[in-house]
Amino acid sequence: MTHHHALRILAAGLVLGCGFAVVTAAGYIDPGTGSYMLQVAIAFLVGIAFSVKVFWKKIRAFLSKIRSGKKGKDVDAA
Amino acid sequence: MTLPEGTLPSSFRDPAGYVFRRDGVLYRGIRAPGRPHYDTLMSSGLYDELVAAGLLIRHEEVPASGDHPDDLYKVIRPEEIPFVSYPYEWSFSQLQDAALATLEVEKRALARGLSLVDASAYNIQFLRGRPVLIDTLSLRKAVDGEPWTAYRQYCQHFLAPLALMSLRDVRLGQLLRVHLDGIPLDLAAALLPLGSRRRPSLLLHVHLHARSQKRFEARSIPAARRTIGRHALLGLVDSLESGTRKLRWRPSGTEWADYYEDTNYTREGLEDKRKTVEEFVAAVRPRTIWDFGGNVGPFSRAAAASGAHTVSFDIDPACVEKNYLRVRAEKEGNILPLLQDLTNPSPPAGWENEERMGLFERGPAEAVLALALIHHLAIGNNVPLDRVARLFARAGRHLLVEFVPKSDSQVKRLLVTREDIFVSYTQAEFEKAFGDLFEIRRRVPLKGSERTLYIMEKK
Repeated sequence: MTHHHALRILAAGLVLGCGFAVVTAAGYIDPGTGSYMLQVAIAFLVGIAFSVKVFWKKIRAFLSKIRSGKKGKDVDAA
Repeated sequence: MTLPEGTLPSSFRDPAGYVFRRDGVLYRGIRAPGRPHYDTLMSSGLYDELVAAGLLIRHEEVPASGDHPDDLYKVIRPEEIPFVSYPYEWSFSQLQDAALATLEVEKRALARGLSLVDASAYNIQFLRGRPVLIDTLSLRKAVDGEPWTAYRQYCQHFLAPLALMSLRDVRLGQLLRVHLDGIPLDLAAALLPLGSRRRPSLLLHVHLHARSQKRFEARSIPAARRTIGRHALLGLVDSLESGTRKLRWRPSGTEWADYYEDTNYTREGLEDKRKTVEEFVAAVRPRTIWDFGGNVGPFSRAAAASGAHTVSFDIDPACVEKNYLRVRAEKEGNILPLLQDLTNPSPPAGWENEERMGLFERGPAEAVLALALIHHLAIGNNVPLDRVARLFARAGRHLLVEFVPKSDSQVKRLLVTREDIFVSYTQAEFEKAFGDLFEIRRRVPLKGSERTLYIMEKK
């Protein structure tokens, strides 16, 4: 994955973090309204945090690839 | 029709299936509501992936026989768990590993279009030393846009108790024994130190979560409501995972964890004892062993070397933690360290007191070790010797028990702050009390001490 791809993930996190729709809660476990609504409320935040994390990992992987490339090591291993 | 005879009392809540035992073998019946989910689990490749990773219990499909509900779809036979244990019997790292295994399952499930419908700590068991999901039917097809149904349960069963154990006091894990559906988040929030709010994951998933529950109490989810995307769901699981992983507890400073570095055992005495344990196990050839007062597990290991499944019980959370960390590091698949207070063993609990088994319902073991323990029960807890004998007779058939006389420095230490009212605590009385219920097969005086090991078999 390139860092452009990671940027796209970051953007997707911003846009898709939450949307509007009507769905019904299924399953035999009561999710609890408070627990349900909190997830919706923090979706944007945890989505962004996750994107940043993935993005940061990509940057680190990219940098270590450059570094190991300079040292003449096998770049494919990164 | 109603569920068949032999249905386990722990599996009545889920309309998608039930667990039952027939001729001693454990099965799971899958009913019509569980069919699409089970088929997706099997066809999506998730089952194979999770089983290969050791995260889900392996099963095989078997033909249905006997009485079943009309809507039965399939019967599966899962691999048996040698000893069922519960979160209030786990050390900090056992609960943490169970939590992380749950999240790992959820991550892999999301990637294949499924999701855990519940995140109960009781759905995790320890098999070959590692946590494994045993509820095959808890993996369901994910509904697009739906938040994680099991989020509340994860926070109550795992995150809140781990946070309390890590940041307040490890003994607060025992709250799980009272709160079988996990620690209520408002209670956890009230008990956690103020500083816990500085951790984003605890601020969100415990403190704000508790407030959100209060705010939306007795209110239904709005008909037109916001949903969350798949990416946010992955973010939620990631946030729970990093919050869970960052919690730490170091076992130190408790009474027992450094026991073997702080006693009057001679090296020779310890070796002698280890040798007797090995001889006992070699003679009895038990498949299951319970080691009471197992400490960090030195004699559990001597016993487990025979291949027997050995549960190493101790009252001290630090001992159980150290024992488990060693099991994990050394990949010792047949030792299960567990927290257990023999003066108040795990009771049967839940609906009709049948959902969770008490300690003795999970036995008896084929062999029991009780080394350097009698004096704590008889003198430390005022339990008469005949009652101690009765407890061990309930626990297993073969017994290796150590008698520690009053002249021993450890017993003197117990008596230093109290009046010696234990006139009947003598070796002769010990033999008499145990002799009523057991045949005494062998006496082994321990070198370098006044202690004696007894090998006994229930009459």
